[in-house]
Amino acid sequence: MNVISTKNLSKEYSSGSYSKDKILALNNFTFEVESGEIFGILGPNGAGKTTLIKILLGITHRTNGEIKIFDKEISDDSYKFKIGYLPENHKFPNYLTGEQVLFYFGKLSGMNDADVKKKTTEYLNLVEMEKWRKTKIKKYSKGMMQRLGLAQSMLNNPELIFLDEPTDGVDPIGRKEIRDVLNNLKSMGKTIFLNSHLLSEVELICDRIAILNKGTLVKSGRVEDITAVSDNFRFVTTETDEKVLNTLLTNYKTTIISNNEFVYNSLNPEEMNKMIDYLRENKILILSIVREKDSLENMFINLIESQN
Amino acid sequence: MIFLTLMFSTFREAIAKKIFLGFFAISTLIILIFLFLINVDSVEGMVDMMGSSGTEGIKQLVIGFEVAMINISYLLIITFCFVSVASFIPSMLEKGNIDLLLSKPVSRTKIILAKFSGGVLLIFLSLIYLIGFVWLILSLKSGYWNITFLYSIFWLTLSFAIIYSIIILVGLISQSTVLSIIVSLFIVFIVCPILAVREEVIFSIVSNSTAQFILNFFYYILPKPSDINKITTNIITGEAVNSYMPVYTSVLFMLAMLSLSILYFKKKDY
Repeated sequence: MNVISTKNLSKEYSSGSYSKDKILALNNFTFEVESGEIFGILGPNGAGKTTLIKILLGITHRTNGEIKIFDKEISDDSYKFKIGYLPENHKFPNYLTGEQVLFYFGKLSGMNDADVKKKTTEYLNLVEMEKWRKTKIKKYSKGMMQRLGLAQSMLNNPELIFLDEPTDGVDPIGRKEIRDVLNNLKSMGKTIFLNSHLLSEVELICDRIAILNKGTLVKSGRVEDITAVSDNFRFVTTETDEKVLNTLLTNYKTTIISNNEFVYNSLNPEEMNKMIDYLRENKILILSIVREKDSLENMFINLIESQN
Repeated sequence: MIFLTLMFSTFREAIAKKIFLGFFAISTLIILIFLFLINVDSVEGMVDMMGSSGTEGIKQLVIGFEVAMINISYLLIITFCFVSVASFIPSMLEKGNIDLLLSKPVSRTKIILAKFSGGVLLIFLSLIYLIGFVWLILSLKSGYWNITFLYSIFWLTLSFAIIYSIIILVGLISQSTVLSIIVSLFIVFIVCPILAVREEVIFSIVSNSTAQFILNFFYYILPKPSDINKITTNIITGEAVNSYMPVYTSVLFMLAMLSLSILYFKKKDY
C-alpha cells in the first residue's frame, strides 16, 4: 500500500516580491512511498527536497499536481493526526523545558494529557534525554535539540514520519543511536521519509531513494539496485602461487590485488565459472565473492555532475 | 482542545517574556498610587466635604476618579500592550517554528483566531485586575458602588482587540515587530485622532467636497478607539450616548482585519 503518492507535482515560486519571473522548484514530480519503508530523498542544495516535504505537509502550497497521503487527497488537515515531522533547523520556544516542549506539541497533535505524559517519558528515554527533561531548552546543545526534535516527531505515535536532516549537528555516536531508533521504528511498521545530506547514512538505512536535481526527479529505486552498477566481482581466496596468478591475469579478465585477492572484471557467467573450476583444480579455496558496488556518494556525484 | 492549547501558549509566551509581569507591575503601581491618593489628608478632606453635600457629591467625586482611571488605562493599553503583543505573530512566523506549527492538525484559521483570542484574553484578565482593584478601593472608600465602571473592562478590551487586529495583519505581512508597532501607533495616535476632529477642525480649513468625502470615508472605515473611549466615559458618567456607530464600524473593521489576516495566512507559503 502506498502511504504517499504524487502525480505531476509542480511548484513555482516568484523569484522576488515584485518579480514576474518564476522559479520552478518542483517539476512534474511523480513518486510513491510504500508503507513500512524508509524512503530517502537526495539532491544538491536547492534541488527542491525541503519544498517537497513542505508541500506534502501543507506548509507550502503546490502549483499543480496530485498528492495522496494515506490514500486521500490532502485537502483537509485530518491526515496530520497520523504524521510526525522534524523540520530542518527547528525552533522550539526557548522558554520551555524539554518536557514542556513535548507536552505543547503533543497537545497540538491532538493527544490527551495522560497520553502525552506517558509518551514524553517513553520517548525522552528512547533519545536519552530523560535527565534533561526539566532543563530549559535554551541551555540545550545542537545535538540535544535534535534528539528532542526526534522525540517530538514520534510522540503522537505517527504512521508516517518526515525527518529533515535528523542527524544535523549530532556526533557519530549520536548518529548511530538515531539510526537505531529509525530502524526500530521501521520494525514497528512505521514509514519514514528522510531528507539527509549524509549519503553514507542514507545508504545504511534507506530502503528506497529518489534523487532530485533542479526540481526534477532524476533517479529512484532501491538503494542496492541504484548502487549495483559495477561489473566487478571481488574474489578473496587462500594463498595462490605465481603460476595461478599468471593464468588468471592472461586467460581471464582479472586485476590482481594480492596473492589472495583479485577482481574479476566481466559479467560473463560461463567464463567466471570456468575460472572458478580452474581455481578448484589448483586446490585454491574461494573465501568470498562480492559484487562490487559504486558507493551511493560516487553515484550521486557522477549523476549530478552529468546533469549539470 | 488544540485551539485552547494554542490560545494558552500565548499566555505562556507572555509570562516568559515578562509581559504579564510588566502589566501586573504597572497595574499594581497605579493601584498603589490610587490607594495613596485617596488616603492623603487633602483628598480625605475633599471626600468629607463632598459627603457633606450629600451622596451626589460623593458620586461625582468617584466618577471623576473613574473617568481619570479610564483615560490612564486607555493610554496604558495603547502603549504597553502594543509593544508587548506585537511580537506574538512575528515570533510565531520564525523559520523552524511555523513549519512545525503548520504540520500539526490545526487549520490556519484556527491558529490566527487562537493567537487573537489569547492576546485579547491576556489583556482582559490584566484589566480585570487593574480596573477591578481600583473599583474596589474607590467603592470601599466612598461607599458608592458604581457598577458601570466595571463595564469599562469590556470596552477597553474591545479597543485593544480592534487595534490588535491591525497588529496581527501587519505582523503577518511584514513579519516585523517594529513595523507592526509603528503602523498601529500611526493609525491610532495620528490618523484616527485627526479624523475624529475632521468636522470641527479640518473642514473649517478644507472646504473641497472631494477632500471632505475622502476624510469622511476614512473616518467611517477606520477604527475609532478614542470615540469608544468617549462612549465608555459617557456610560460611567451616566451621560447619554448619542450613537454607537463608532463601536459598530470599529468592530466591522476588526472583523475585516481578521478576515484579511486569515486569507493572507491561508495563501502564504512558509
